[in-house]
Amino acid sequence: MNPVFVIAGYVLREAASRKFILAFMVGLTLVLATVALSLKLEVVDGALAATRLFGEVVRAHITSVDVALRPIFRAAAYLVFYGGILFGIVACSDFAPGLLSPGRIEHLLALPLQRWHLLAGTFVGVMTLAVGGTVYAAGGLTLIFGVKTGYWTMGPLVAGGLACVGFAAVYAVMLTTATLVRSAALCSAAGFVLLVGGILAGFRTDVSRYLEAGFGRTSFDAVTLVLPRLSALAVGAADLASSTPLKPDSLGMLLGGVLVFGLGALAVGFWHFEGKDC
Amino acid sequence: MDLLVPSGSAFGLIGPNGAGKTTFIKSVLGIVRPTAGTVRVLGGSPEDPAIRARIGYLPERLHLPGTWKAPAFLATVARLKRLKPDAPAHLRLLERVGLSDAVDRKIGGYSKGMRQRLGLAAALLGDPSLLVLDEPTDGIDPMGRLEVRRILQEEVRRGVTLFLNSHLLAETERVCDRVAILADGRVLREGRLEELARGGAKWRVRFAPGVETSALAAAGFVPAESEARISTGTPPGLAADGAREGVYLVEATDVAVLNAALDRARASGALLMELRREGADLEAVLLGAVGSGPGVAA
Amino acid sequence: MDSRGRRKVWLGGAVLLFAVAALLMFTGQGDELPPPAPEVKFPSRMRGTDFERAEKRRTWVMPTAQDAGVAAPVKPRDPLLAALPRGPGRTAVVIEANALRHSPLGELLLDCLMRDGGKNLEQFKALSGVDPLQDLDRMVITDEGLILSGDFSKARYQELLGERVSSDHGPGARVYEPGDTSIALPDGGTRRGRMDNAVGTWNDQMLVLGRNPDEVKTVLDRMDGRGPEEGPPLLDENSTYGEMYGVLAVEQLAKLLGPEQAELAQRLKDVAQNVELHLDTSGDVAMVADVRGLDEQKMTDLGKSLGGALSMARMKAQAEGNTEMAQLLDFAKVRPDGTSFKLELAVPLSAIQEQLAWCRKPAGSTPPAP
Repeated sequence: MNPVFVIAGYVLREAASRKFILAFMVGLTLVLATVALSLKLEVVDGALAATRLFGEVVRAHITSVDVALRPIFRAAAYLVFYGGILFGIVACSDFAPGLLSPGRIEHLLALPLQRWHLLAGTFVGVMTLAVGGTVYAAGGLTLIFGVKTGYWTMGPLVAGGLACVGFAAVYAVMLTTATLVRSAALCSAAGFVLLVGGILAGFRTDVSRYLEAGFGRTSFDAVTLVLPRLSALAVGAADLASSTPLKPDSLGMLLGGVLVFGLGALAVGFWHFEGKDC
Repeated sequence: MDLLVPSGSAFGLIGPNGAGKTTFIKSVLGIVRPTAGTVRVLGGSPEDPAIRARIGYLPERLHLPGTWKAPAFLATVARLKRLKPDAPAHLRLLERVGLSDAVDRKIGGYSKGMRQRLGLAAALLGDPSLLVLDEPTDGIDPMGRLEVRRILQEEVRRGVTLFLNSHLLAETERVCDRVAILADGRVLREGRLEELARGGAKWRVRFAPGVETSALAAAGFVPAESEARISTGTPPGLAADGAREGVYLVEATDVAVLNAALDRARASGALLMELRREGADLEAVLLGAVGSGPGVAA
Repeated sequence: MDSRGRRKVWLGGAVLLFAVAALLMFTGQGDELPPPAPEVKFPSRMRGTDFERAEKRRTWVMPTAQDAGVAAPVKPRDPLLAALPRGPGRTAVVIEANALRHSPLGELLLDCLMRDGGKNLEQFKALSGVDPLQDLDRMVITDEGLILSGDFSKARYQELLGERVSSDHGPGARVYEPGDTSIALPDGGTRRGRMDNAVGTWNDQMLVLGRNPDEVKTVLDRMDGRGPEEGPPLLDENSTYGEMYGVLAVEQLAKLLGPEQAELAQRLKDVAQNVELHLDTSGDVAMVADVRGLDEQKMTDLGKSLGGALSMARMKAQAEGNTEMAQLLDFAKVRPDGTSFKLELAVPLSAIQEQLAWCRKPAGSTPPAP
């Protein structure tokens, strides 16, 4: 088996033993189950005629199911995107520092692996975890609303996929940070900084207008040109989830750009780790 | 440093704290890159995964995943060594290191000694040509050490090259046939253990109390304590205690000279109680090489 | 490759990847500010401009009360609203022609109207003396006829209606009976025609068209406050918001639904009393129909049925690839509210622009098939 996948399995096995990740999955299941059990949707000829949550009417208008579910899927997409990235930053911050800790890294490096296998395996493991969590959350939501309304859409799942690409860029930076400093806190901090930078980069045109022309604005434009445009991706994810027309000119290009940024960050990590004495 | 470890040997590395032993081991495994010079292991570079595949390594403080069970850990290490996981073989290996009763327990519940045994099992996976062990018996009870020593000796007999770093000098002495003494990143002494420990043509003799020192001195016997004081700087107070015990050293290039000296001593009325060839243990060798003082450890 | 070589590859790769990423993201998102998200504002209440407009129209002075002991009945102070029919089962739809003309939709419609360079419009102005784009303020369609309000001081009544039998009807009002009409042509000739409608004029501000002189007189009487009280005004002054508004009798609305929705039309007739409409064209074209009935349960069920019908129609349009219809029904929703419910429909202005794009092309090009 490719060592990258063995390391990924190693990371996943470690993750499975973490109580707070298990607690998160249980919590997610409970939320989905609560929504499934407490939400009553009355559908008449494809229109959402009435919505009751815990027996209380929560919607006052009747419209097509897909239109009615748009704000819900949109909100869910934003929640999955930003909530997922935030949770991922916190939950996955110590995987890489843990793997690079004394007593473990020497053992791993003495095995017949390339150094980049370790980082790539950690990345793949964490991303598998992220994709699994996203599919579980978005899929559960799609399933609940699909069963209750008869309206089936891949939107939330696709939006979840976009969220995973966004997280890939963030985690690549966190992983690279771990090769520089073996600290979960600093890895988290790097992830947060990139998330904020990514949000700004998505709105760079709007933000740039409010900056005074000159060095400040030029610097801002230059930095945000390279940063992954996470907020733009989030908007695209929400558009996809709610089946509304896409705002970015080409979501595919944007998505590719964010993914390639992640790979670039990962390559920096490989570069540094390759020359590092552990 | 310039150090050659012959294939098939059991090589021990000793030296004080901060001597560079662990760094040296890491450079042997490619974990640390030498700033200058080259490291050749098993005929190749340690950076080559194919070379590392033939090395079994037990780090000093092996960090094991606490929630896993031993067979799962071994299976993962086997996969990383590009080996096909072989559950029965892994169980046999665990039995060999004395963990057969703990296969169903999580590693987190293992004692320090059990963790070391598991680390040793992981190092032994894939029948490596070179075993690099950093404190393999750390935390293991005396009976366990015997078992580990037996395993290591078996491996050496099988033709495996053993590279051992242990602060238990007695263990190094018992397992290794070659030793290098490292201090401040330099190899101070290196060679076969008996060569390093050889004391020359000296014999240690113990006479019954009441011997006449001057007569023995005339026969070529000198009190052992004054000899020791000369070579190691032992305080003179201890020498007087040694003299009371009737221990003397005599230099004899061959058996005939020794017997002649003994005859002279007996003729002066001394009664022989004990006779053995004088030689230094590893500690004495280390002390001799590095100098006495605290911090002599792996 | 040794470690040093690999490091060079990783570093070079990283730089290249960052450059490609920046290029892809720049191309993907663009650097232009995205247009603001379309937000359809449905007409639901009087806005500031509506209040101002209503205020200006309070031109009718209430006659002095003849019987000091009896309180004067409440009447709209806008003469046009006063002229509207009253009582249940009646229909009146007001088109704010001036506001509509200055709305984005009006601009688009004007483009279509002016495709011939405004020739027809100029002809109409020359014949009638009235510039519809300047002088027409409101147009009301009722089940009694048509009322136009605005500035008709330059109207050539004499030339257009001079041959008809006419009579004064109160101060400032005149009624023309149906009859022949002669129109002076630009080449100096005259075209004669027959008009079956009675026409009433009121203070150069109103023009009333009815089936017969009596109906016209009734409307003029209401305008002057002389009409018999038949109930509350069909349209309250506080309901004059939007570029088009009014009250439709359910029978009229049922007819509009067509034979495909016969069942729904019948339920509408059985359950609902009337429908108040408001159309807003200040941005996207948004319509709210407030359907009122008496039985809450029946009205809720009707609302659900209507919502379902709209949803089905939308799905059908989507399935058939009728994107325009699907887009129109995208905003369709029903808001139940006790014994009434509101039906909301909207068409994004961009969709209308797309549909009417041919008006901006040179004359001769043909409009697209609907």
